[in-house]
This record gives sequence, structure tokens and C-alpha cells, in this order.
Amino acid sequence: MQLATIVGQATATVKHASMAGWKLLIAQPLTVDGKPDGEPQLVIDNLGAGLDDRVIICNDGAGTRKLMNSKNSPVRWFVMGICDRSEAKNAHR
Amino acid sequence: MRIAEVIGTVTLSRCHPSIAGYRWIIGVPYSLKALKDDSVPDGEDIVILDESGAGIGQKIGVSEGVEAMMPFQPERKPIDAYNACILDAVQVK
Repeated sequence: MQLATIVGQATATVKHASMAGWKLLIAQPLTVDGKPDGEPQLVIDNLGAGLDDRVIICNDGAGTRKLMNSKNSPVRWFVMGICDRSEAKNAHR
Repeated sequence: MRIAEVIGTVTLSRCHPSIAGYRWIIGVPYSLKALKDDSVPDGEDIVILDESGAGIGQKIGVSEGVEAMMPFQPERKPIDAYNACILDAVQVK
């Protein structure tokens, strides 16, 4: 699981059948002091995360497949929680 | 699932029998900066197995890792990048 910020959203008509009906958000994973960490990821979301929300994204494929109720979905990342506040001991943020 | 732009295709002359007969495309993943100012993607290009017929120049969602093989369950294929969706619209703040 990783802290991330929602930076946008995407729509796709042609996609794997298991993704039908799922909201696709673009999340930028963050390091502990809030800097971008790697490339932005497409994540599925059913918690209603909005733009600029600080979220926790999870890349447990088995969990995603259970969430999507599909045995063969290629999706890996999903929004697991929306943060109210997050602090890190020696992060200067 | 990273966002990548399709820049070309690959044809295999000899390959593992389980992956014969598929369409292979070359995708370059987007960093956050490239996505934000809608410029040329600047990641490292990867070869992606494509079953949806993505055209050159289109933005796609690339499923990576073991999730790339999930759509072929229970069959096992030696691939680690799969075109999960062709993106119609990508909005990044």
C-alpha cells in the first residue's frame, strides 16, 4: 500500500471486460515527504475519491480481483482509503 | 497500470508456443510531467501484448507484472505487459 494523490481521471470504452463500470482515476504515488514517486498509475476506485485527494492505493492483485469479483482481471492498483490527515515523524511537510 | 503511448508494433519470427499469434505493440510510459503538459512520453519503451487493436499514437493502460497474465487464466503465459484498456480521454490537473 502506498500514499498517493489523485491527479486526474481517465475513461476507456475498449477495455478488459472486468473493468466495465469501474471508475478509473490517475494516482501519483508519493514518497513519505510528499514528492512524486515513479510514474502515475491508473487505479480503480469505488470510494469516490476526488481530484487532489490524498489516498492510499494498494497493489495486491488478488485483493483487486476479489474486489472486482473477477478471476482474470488485469487491474492491479485500487483506492483502498481516502486519508483525512497523514503525518510522518521526520518528514518536513 | 501505467499510461503509455503506442509508438509501434513488433512481429515475432520465433517465440514461445504459448504466446504465438498475438499482436505486440511498443508503448512508452508517461511520467507525471509529460502527462501534465501533454508532451511526448519520456519513460522506457516496453513491448506489450495487445488484444484490443490499439493504434499508433493512442494512449493505453498497461497492466504489468503477474496481472498481465491474469486474463489468460488458468493458462500461463510468459508475459509481463498487457494492454488492459485503450484510453478515450485523459484529464490531468
